[in-house]
Amino acid sequence: MSRWTYFAKRLVLSIPVIIFGTSLTFFIIYAGPIDPVTSILGMGATSEQIQNLEQQLGLNQPLWEQYFQYMVDMFTFSLGESWVIRPDVAANEVILSYAPRTVLMGALAVILPLFVGIPLGFYAGLRPNTLGDYTASFTGIVWRAMPNFWLAVIMLMVLSSSEYWLFGFNWETWIVSTNVAGTPEMDNLLQPLNFIAAVKVVLPGALVLGSASMGNEMRIGRTAFLEAKNSNYVEMARAKGVPGRSIVWKHIFRNALIPLIPVITAEAGVLVGGSVLIESVFGINGIGWLFFNAMARGDLPLAVAMMYLIILLIVGLNILQDFLYTIVDPRVGFEGE
Amino acid sequence: MSDSAYAPEGRAEEEPLLSVDNLQTAFFTDKETIRAVDGVSFDIRAGESVGIVGESGSGKSVTARSIMGLIDSPGRVVGGSIQYKGQELVGNSEKEWQRMRGGEIAMVFQDPLSSLNPVYTVGNQIKESLRLHQGMRGREATEKAIQLLEDVGIPDAPRRIKEYPHQFSGGMRQRAVIAVALACDPDLLICDEPTTALDVTIQAQILDLLHELKDEHDLGIMFITHDMGVIAEVSDRVNVMYAGEVVESAPVEELFNNPKHPYTQGLLESIPSRNERGSALTTIEGEVPTPNEPATYCRFAPRCPKAFDDCEQVHPVPVEVDDETDDHEAACLLYPDDVGQTEAVELHQSREDATEQEVTE
Repeated sequence: MSRWTYFAKRLVLSIPVIIFGTSLTFFIIYAGPIDPVTSILGMGATSEQIQNLEQQLGLNQPLWEQYFQYMVDMFTFSLGESWVIRPDVAANEVILSYAPRTVLMGALAVILPLFVGIPLGFYAGLRPNTLGDYTASFTGIVWRAMPNFWLAVIMLMVLSSSEYWLFGFNWETWIVSTNVAGTPEMDNLLQPLNFIAAVKVVLPGALVLGSASMGNEMRIGRTAFLEAKNSNYVEMARAKGVPGRSIVWKHIFRNALIPLIPVITAEAGVLVGGSVLIESVFGINGIGWLFFNAMARGDLPLAVAMMYLIILLIVGLNILQDFLYTIVDPRVGFEGE
Repeated sequence: MSDSAYAPEGRAEEEPLLSVDNLQTAFFTDKETIRAVDGVSFDIRAGESVGIVGESGSGKSVTARSIMGLIDSPGRVVGGSIQYKGQELVGNSEKEWQRMRGGEIAMVFQDPLSSLNPVYTVGNQIKESLRLHQGMRGREATEKAIQLLEDVGIPDAPRRIKEYPHQFSGGMRQRAVIAVALACDPDLLICDEPTTALDVTIQAQILDLLHELKDEHDLGIMFITHDMGVIAEVSDRVNVMYAGEVVESAPVEELFNNPKHPYTQGLLESIPSRNERGSALTTIEGEVPTPNEPATYCRFAPRCPKAFDDCEQVHPVPVEVDDETDDHEAACLLYPDDVGQTEAVELHQSREDATEQEVTE
């Protein structure tokens, strides 16, 4: 089986995963303990009002009919309308108005560890047991060990009185004047100053969110690079006179990436869950905040739509992982003779 | 200097291709200093195959890596000289080593399964050698790579060249590793247990291949193994190593017919096929000691059936075994054979050597 046949197989296999995940979401949310009618009407509603509303929302239909309707809706991307948070506004519109902040923060939370953690691990792995390695490894462990919620609070504290903690450096007025926490303005991002302002607001959150990943990627990167560096094929490359730079970039780098790929994509998946917590600490009104509220206030179509999108995102990440594997490692899909 | 001085005619008179003299390589750890190679000397001439044989841990591979400049911290070559075509290699900078490695001295490694980079095609790895040492690129390199694969006996080379190492069987991978080494066009080939990981029939094929290549390219070959049977097959000359030292050195037939050092005798007795069926195999009791102090005694003495009191006191140096046979040296207090025991011991005592000195970082 060739590499690309393998990849195509993974692609096809993701379809049943999406169907299963979406079905599970339906049963957990619609057949679960959440009572949307009461949360819309309040405790004092009459039974007539309740019946009317149930009929209006289609909740009096048999469950299997609701299920089929729901599945068809999801796969045709008609995600329905919000019931509670913004009544009668299309769910995708609501999501779209909250998403950019989270996307910006999430992207930063993935990119920062990628461009800090992996190079640090690279550096440490190529110089094992030197002062540089010890410093990088120790920093990595400390960074990895700090709990998100704690780090978030500390970060807020330090940044909000930064002149005091950071030797006169004032975070709030640095480059552009912004609040330490809060909802970033997402309009006109194409203007450099607006973009910088938005990044500056989500940056502390992104740092906290990516902190664990950064430590992880550093540690695993160090091991991966060290292992590749000590491998027989690197010794053989040296023995045939390959210059040092080419050994590092051609022979070590690509092999060291193989164990890092699943770590990176798995971290990206974890961020989706982590953003709920971080968004509430930093007051960033994004997807995490929206999802939590949709669930708590019985806005079922909105919650379900977001679950569905998250399922697609995670499956997409897995496909991306398989794709990267297929490119980097020729042994993928090889089952022996 | 011209290469013609190293031409094959007139074996004994001509300059050796590689001349290792009193080489010492030590590894410095917090606990101790391990003298992995402790005063090893031997020569290799063009078109000659020199075998290095010994148990695991006797310093064979470290000798090879010292010659390639592949000793990494905490190890270091601490003494002696390695001369290649008259040029001193000890003390080379990394840049100078890079010029030696591959193009002049190439190496075939022990484990063909892990010696090829798994993420590049076999062709890519051969072409890398060609580009570095023969300046070939593109189509020319591809054609040369196909030819090299055919030379080492891989059928269907034009297709194989596009395949990855995991698509090759063990024997084919070792052939590919040899092709990568040959692509560098070396004058000296170091084979570090190239057949240990292979099964016996493939082993014989690879040995035949090396033999052919030696004659075709007039290569000097340094062949490392722990297998006496393999040594008999491939080498013209044998050095027996024990705990970082060469204990016996002789042409292959002389060594097998007339082993002098008790260790060599023990090694030969422990080859299954040489012994009569049904009789129990002889073994050498104990294991190779770690050479972590200067040798002021014979390192083999604790395991030696012929050891006597002086073995604990005097460090044996390589001497001719007797007057009649030349070119056969053993480092054992029993020799030279033709002088009395006490006289022999005195002879060894009078020759102080580097292995008895402390080495420091």
